[in-house]
Amino acid sequence: MISRIWRPIKEGFLGVFRHGAMSLQSGSAVTITLIIISLFLIFTMNVSRFTKGIEQSVQISATVGYDYESAENEDRISLAIQAIDGVDKVTFSSKAEEFQYYLNSFTDERTKEAFRPFEEDNPMHDAFYVTVRDGSNLQSVAESIKGIEGIESVNFGGASAIQLVNMLESIRTGGGLLALALSILAIFLIANTIKLTIMARADEIAIMRNVGARNGFIRSPFVVEGVIIGALGAIPPIILTYYMYRSVYKFTGGYLISRMFSLIPPEQFLPTACAILLAIGVVVGLLGSFFSVGKYLRWKR
Amino acid sequence: MIECSHVYKKYKNGVNALYDINLSVEQGEFVYIIGPTGSGKSTLIKLLDGEEIPTKGKVSVVGIDVGKLRHSKVPVYRRNIGVVFQDFKLLPSKTVFENIAYALEVINLPKSLIRRRVREVMNLVGLDEKGNSFPRELSGGQQQRVAIARAIANRPKVLIADEPTGNLDPSMSDEIMALLDKINREYGTTILMVTHDLTIVNKHRKRTIVLEHGHIVADLKEGGYVQHDQ
Repeated sequence: MISRIWRPIKEGFLGVFRHGAMSLQSGSAVTITLIIISLFLIFTMNVSRFTKGIEQSVQISATVGYDYESAENEDRISLAIQAIDGVDKVTFSSKAEEFQYYLNSFTDERTKEAFRPFEEDNPMHDAFYVTVRDGSNLQSVAESIKGIEGIESVNFGGASAIQLVNMLESIRTGGGLLALALSILAIFLIANTIKLTIMARADEIAIMRNVGARNGFIRSPFVVEGVIIGALGAIPPIILTYYMYRSVYKFTGGYLISRMFSLIPPEQFLPTACAILLAIGVVVGLLGSFFSVGKYLRWKR
Repeated sequence: MIECSHVYKKYKNGVNALYDINLSVEQGEFVYIIGPTGSGKSTLIKLLDGEEIPTKGKVSVVGIDVGKLRHSKVPVYRRNIGVVFQDFKLLPSKTVFENIAYALEVINLPKSLIRRRVREVMNLVGLDEKGNSFPRELSGGQQQRVAIARAIANRPKVLIADEPTGNLDPSMSDEIMALLDKINREYGTTILMVTHDLTIVNKHRKRTIVLEHGHIVADLKEGGYVQHDQ
């Protein structure tokens, strides 16, 4: 029973070494593909983070008209905003707080002093700060807030913020699609390489059937071999990704251009990325060899 | 042991290989099948070992209707018969020992029994010393003996040999014949041997079936076949 499990594993390992040149060939096909996939993974996962970051940092500010400065209006408007679809968080800032905030934006005491007299007759408005769950509905949420009774003006990052979000969104989708297409191409490439390695052994498979080996018995070592080749092929891209990403992160200080484009920290990104690369390598090796052997099992009766 | 009744075989490319073959071989018999190239000898072997399906008629070996087997069941059927090919069909990446052992591993025999059986048949075919050699390191005669050892390792009731001496010189051929004789006598294995080597047929006399153009033209119980229009 134990030998039933160990035999294909042992034979699979032996196969990798006995057919070294072919293993190297299929393995490097996996390696090249996974390097490309790794680059796309780094790109799309980070862009995805940029988008989220921007979406979260973009907030809508809504000011309340002077005639509506009362506690009950504050509660009513707050609830109304909360009820709008897509709203994440609503914070209230009173006109006194707003004035303080404005005052604090000056660094030198003289200017601060010059504005002090206005504290008595505060020209600021009560305000609500609203963050949305998804940057793409910034515009519609802003429109809805504007419609609430008592709201005087609504402000948000504006068209440029939305455009940026939309652009990143389409880059991410496009990158994802390209990565997917490349992966499919890679599976064909690898299946084909493995098929070539097995074609060279079509006679061997026919002989195995001749001496009474069941299809599963013949197939299992080849599948193990495919998995090993896939896993081995995934090692260089994993190492490359590991060191490349770390050094890029270190070199850039963790963000590109501005804090808004902060990169995913390596300790967060690398385990997932490496696991994905290994999984792709193994799955591709498994499927590639499984289907390729199947064809040659049917070559002869 | 082997029964063919009204067996016809026509290949997909339109070639008619066998016509109305009726054949019965008893347990323990040693039978030659002879005939010129293209007479249907190889087709008959392929029908017997399940590689081809008869167009018409029934082929039955050790009680199994070979033509009705599903693709996945063919290897399991082959555990009942041993087949020796002209081109040996040894696994090039396995040693002599591993090649013979493979035929026993596929039927899940315990390791200790496999080792004992392999040694036994290697001794029988006179290759005790060659266990760790690879097939390419052996002569044709030695490779054929490995193939025979593999074919009989799991003690099949029937041994089918397709031109086992086809690639060998006369003295080697005699050795192989002596070996097959021994297997036939000692194990009581039914042997069906395809050949076109008339020297062998006349020297080691056995029941001889003559095929020509896909028909059985003679079935000589006493053996010996002198005439041959090739």
